[in-house]
Amino acid sequence: MSISPIKKVAVIGAGVMGAGIAAHVANSGTPVVLLDIVPPNLPEGGDRSAIAKGAVEKLLKADPAAFMSKAAAKLVTPGNIEDDIGLLADCDWIVEAIIERLDLKQSLYAKIDAVRKPGSAVSSNTSTIPLDKLVAGLSDAFAADFLVTHFFNPPRYMRLLEVVAGAKTRPEAVSAVSRFADHRLGKSVVACKDRPGFIANRLGVMWLQAAVVEAFDLGVAIEDADAIIGRPFGIPKTGVFGLLDLVGLDLMPHVNASLAGALPAEDMFHAMNRPAPLIERMIKDGYTGRKGKGGFYRLNREKGKVKEAIDLATGDYRTQRKADVPALGDAGRSLGKLLDHDSLHGRYAWNVMGRTLAYAALLVGDAADEVDAIDEAMRLGYNWKKGPFELIDEIGVDGFVARLEKAGLPVAPILRTAAGKSFYRIENGRRQCLGLDGAWRDVVRPEGVLMLADIKLSAQPILKNGSASLWDIGDGVVCFEFTSKMNALDPDIIALLGKSIALVKKSYKAMVVYNEGSQFSVGANLGLALFAANIAAWPEIENLVASGQATYKALRYAPFPTVAAPSGMALGGGCEILMHCSAIQAHAETYTGLVEVGVGLLPGWGGCKELLRRWTAHGRLPKGPMPVVGKVFEMISTAQVAKSAAEAKEMMIMAPTDGITMNRYRLLADAKAKALSMVEGYAPPEAPTFVLPGATARSGLNMAVAGFARLGKATPHDVVVSDEVAGVLSGGDTDVTTPVTEDRLYELEREGFMRLVRTPGSLARVEHMLETGKPLRN
Amino acid sequence: MPLYKAPLRDMRFCLYELMDGDALTELPGYEEFGRDLVDPVLEEAAKLCEEVLFPVNRSGDEEGCAYENGVVRTPKGFKEAYDQFRDGGWTSIACDPAYGGQGLPFAVDTLITEMICSSNLSFGMYPGLSHGAYVSLSGYGSEELKAKYLPRMVEGVWSGTMCLTEPHCGTDLGLLRTAAVPNGDGSYAITGTKIFISAGEHDLTENIVHLVLARIQGAPKGVKGISLFLVPKYLVKDDGSLGARNGAVCGSIEHKMGIKASATAVLNFDGATGWLIGEPGKGLNAMFAMMNTERLAVGMQGLGLAEVSRQNSVLYARDRIQGRSISGTKAPDKAADPILVHPDVRRMLLTQRAYIEGCRALGQWVATSLDIAKHHPDAMKRQEADDLVFLLTPIVKAFMTDVGSEVTNLGVQVFGGHGFIREHGQEQYVRDARITQIYEGTNGVQALDLVGRKMPAHAGRYLRRFFHPVQAWIEANMENEALAEFVQPLAKAFVRLQQATGQIARVGMAKPDEAGAASVDYLRLFGLTALAYLWGRMVEVSLPKIGTDEDDGFYAAKVATARFYMERLLPETGWRFSNIMAGGKSIMAFPDDAF
Repeated sequence: MSISPIKKVAVIGAGVMGAGIAAHVANSGTPVVLLDIVPPNLPEGGDRSAIAKGAVEKLLKADPAAFMSKAAAKLVTPGNIEDDIGLLADCDWIVEAIIERLDLKQSLYAKIDAVRKPGSAVSSNTSTIPLDKLVAGLSDAFAADFLVTHFFNPPRYMRLLEVVAGAKTRPEAVSAVSRFADHRLGKSVVACKDRPGFIANRLGVMWLQAAVVEAFDLGVAIEDADAIIGRPFGIPKTGVFGLLDLVGLDLMPHVNASLAGALPAEDMFHAMNRPAPLIERMIKDGYTGRKGKGGFYRLNREKGKVKEAIDLATGDYRTQRKADVPALGDAGRSLGKLLDHDSLHGRYAWNVMGRTLAYAALLVGDAADEVDAIDEAMRLGYNWKKGPFELIDEIGVDGFVARLEKAGLPVAPILRTAAGKSFYRIENGRRQCLGLDGAWRDVVRPEGVLMLADIKLSAQPILKNGSASLWDIGDGVVCFEFTSKMNALDPDIIALLGKSIALVKKSYKAMVVYNEGSQFSVGANLGLALFAANIAAWPEIENLVASGQATYKALRYAPFPTVAAPSGMALGGGCEILMHCSAIQAHAETYTGLVEVGVGLLPGWGGCKELLRRWTAHGRLPKGPMPVVGKVFEMISTAQVAKSAAEAKEMMIMAPTDGITMNRYRLLADAKAKALSMVEGYAPPEAPTFVLPGATARSGLNMAVAGFARLGKATPHDVVVSDEVAGVLSGGDTDVTTPVTEDRLYELEREGFMRLVRTPGSLARVEHMLETGKPLRN
Repeated sequence: MPLYKAPLRDMRFCLYELMDGDALTELPGYEEFGRDLVDPVLEEAAKLCEEVLFPVNRSGDEEGCAYENGVVRTPKGFKEAYDQFRDGGWTSIACDPAYGGQGLPFAVDTLITEMICSSNLSFGMYPGLSHGAYVSLSGYGSEELKAKYLPRMVEGVWSGTMCLTEPHCGTDLGLLRTAAVPNGDGSYAITGTKIFISAGEHDLTENIVHLVLARIQGAPKGVKGISLFLVPKYLVKDDGSLGARNGAVCGSIEHKMGIKASATAVLNFDGATGWLIGEPGKGLNAMFAMMNTERLAVGMQGLGLAEVSRQNSVLYARDRIQGRSISGTKAPDKAADPILVHPDVRRMLLTQRAYIEGCRALGQWVATSLDIAKHHPDAMKRQEADDLVFLLTPIVKAFMTDVGSEVTNLGVQVFGGHGFIREHGQEQYVRDARITQIYEGTNGVQALDLVGRKMPAHAGRYLRRFFHPVQAWIEANMENEALAEFVQPLAKAFVRLQQATGQIARVGMAKPDEAGAASVDYLRLFGLTALAYLWGRMVEVSLPKIGTDEDDGFYAAKVATARFYMERLLPETGWRFSNIMAGGKSIMAFPDDAF
């Protein structure tokens, strides 16, 4: 019996995880039923589905947002398990995410089994109970459709999904769920063995415990601990104590106890699972982290928002200080030097990371079969930049083993296997990883995945300069990649883009604008622009604006299709380039908008023009030029940013025909496919003309802004900036009887931009943004 | 015998006509400093400098200071001159009225500093160092220390020093070793050796207050571990009277190329009692407060020496007859024409004049900005002015002392063989000027400060305070035909400066050696352009006044000097620019062993 493709999903248990999973299923455009129990002691006439409904309400207010759009929220049908169990009958996948109690789970499975359609997949989101215990006593037919799907919190944003198949689970059930999770939910599926904590939490909890216990034992200040067990190892800067504050201190004793209960006596974890009286006291007093009164760090509001950190020795809060770790300076970028540093901090680094990496090696063959599964789990489950085996490679396998032996820590068999080698290597342009048997095998991407990083292993760029590269990605398609810091747009990028367009015209079929940075582009390089403004190099700045416009325009009217494929932030000039491509194929997690007013400027690379064009062409607004101008003015003058690709569609930054890719790994392949689909018979768009209202609209918009200023909602410089934005959007000195050309709008943008960049208010905004990362409200 | 006459006419021009000296009275704290008060002060200062300080300048140079058993004797006449200087209240003019000072604006004080440096730089070192110590102590000292020491220092009864340098550590203060050990009563025992301490020991004042950089026991290595201490020569009792001799003793004084009447001491601290100024480990902050004002003052030293050398050059060129003009006899009644008629002598005199008047304007711009930075009620204005002072400080220090050296050398050249003879005084100015390019941070260090610190700070915000007004002035006067011959060369130099700035910012970010290799040329380019801007503005002020009642030939000379500057000095920006754009490869690629 084959498993049908998943078209409808049910989630049972509307707690944080269950509700979050349901919301994310809805984000994929799939209808989802969310059930929980009938509230106990419900008064007569009370809502029997109140728990699930309440969960949906909470989801709508969640920050960061759980839903990608308002439309997604409508796909969730809340209900209760007693009255609505029948809703499961047409679901293709049923996810159980209730409390971690075997008896309750098993009785629920019996109920599910009674109504579910044959061949539907059932999975548990358990993080602690082994699969074989969950299906014990249940029918073989149920066990055949049953698996563990372990999501990470928050389900929308964490890309890891650990999947465990039991001995009886049919491969089809695993592949159907995995396929849906990959393509529709955008998850990276890592196959785990049925072992406690699976991979990420097994290792992650060990790591956290080791870091806490060693900090207590050695007397390391928590700021220093987070500075050591953080950035230097490619671990997020929250480090350990900052992370615990985020997840909640109260969670740890439960997780520790369940892991300890399930792991064999000889497991290394037990030595690190020691009670910490201070933490117990903190939990008891409500200091459970950010959700409570504070955690290891807190903001003391009584003292006027003073940041404080706890002193592990005394248990008292004191003023938070900057980390002071001379070992980091001495070690430079060498992890080996840091681990060997003869200092308190060096010992701490070794005791924590040496132990963690030793443990990671022991998990090979136990929690997972392959080292790259463990690396992927830590990268995506804990946001480490490098997995544990990539870290060991950096330290050097032999050196690491020698240190383990000296420290009396266990040396896992895989480390012996890797003696004299490394865990990863590049061979014939392919990335390979070392197997338990000592043989090298290719690191295989899921089918259909295309990554620039892989292409780079065996190719040289067609064109390249300091800030951008052009790659051949096959089938006549090229990929234009930004390579500058934060992918900020600078003259080099504009220059190479111009060259690339000319080259593609001659020798290729289509172009994709894509990169694999964490942000697509944060916009123009403000540092360069501010420096130029500070030395009054006005012609240079004007040239930068004009050449950007000319190049973006060339992109738009190129005789071949161009597809922008953003992921992460695409702001300012990064948003404008999207709108100048023939089409957009965006990762679902794309955050885009014209944010220039935040730095006192206006979109000068055709952003004003493009939004006007898009709203005129596709927007469902009342007739006449004024509603479009008003709408676009609102977006630009308040620097609205779409919080997802779905929202970008609502905001018309993306057109209705543009595509959304849920899985980050599949973005380039989707963009390339889209580009190729457009090649045949491709004709560049016609140049638009605009009917714009002119000066009357400008003064109308200014009056509205003046009103906000009186209410204190707009600052004095907002008024200045908004006026220039209004001047461009209303078409300058035109009126409705005279059509405005595209080139005239480019010109208006340029003029407005040049006036603003000369104002001290705008320069102060740019400087403030560069120095603090926050907008200045002047 | 050399002469000196304070250039009050040009000083007033800078203060009141080029800058808006009358507007100083609008700044809180400066209400009373109108012309009716300032003009007499300047005249009195001129008189003092011409009649009291100048006459002991050359004799002081000849005699030098004498050292014997830890005691230093200043040259004959210095003590008497100092008494007059102090009794006239000149030690207190630029100090806070809260400590008995007169609170004179920097714009005015700067002019007086120039006069002192012209008339007798060695003498000026003594009150100059006191003022530096005053700035640090008043900015960072505890109320108790300030109350105990400042009034007497302001009064000039006690003097001050700044003790930074040690035998093994000059520019790199992170290396310093002088140790401070807590005595348990809040004071510290200071032990170590300091060298090159100007005014470190002398017979002009009753007490000397040394400000000493030292490392508290257990403090970290490098500059973070440095603290600043107050160590008096004589301990001061609670009633303010002098007590026991402290363990800070002068071991010897240096034998120097110039400023020979300024005592440059080796000071040995042997468990001397000292008190912490400011916070532990923050010694450099307090020191740099002093350093910044001192760097401006050193720039004025360069200017002062240039001015006195120029005055004597002009007198000599008028007086000395030698040869005939190559275009025909100019003084048929004499045996020969005065050398003033010869083109190259005129070139030298004009070079001196154009640099000096330009630098005086530059000094005045910075001093006025400093007044605004300290006194303006609007925080934004204060910050803008402060930014400009930060930016221009290394230029004032290095450019103006380089000019001092060049101009005093020309002063010797105009005199011919007599310039080489001590009795004529011109050679002393060359020797005295030489140190100004070295101390308070060598001019190379100033250039690094400009490209390494001032340029990149806040993505170039300090630069904005210079580039924007200059650009705005050029734009405003582009169409002005009368100014065209001045605006166009300025605009050309300004574009070079912009391009060089962009180039250094771009390349220097990735390759610091490139920025370092360009730095000295860049500072010079910057200084030349700044002077061109100020010359443009001086012409703008002067042109309308030519031929009016106010005119006494002064304005026509201004415009003519400006023309010389634009045509004959500003073009140096071309080769400086070429140097910068050539990059540092030929400098850095040279093998170390081959030097």
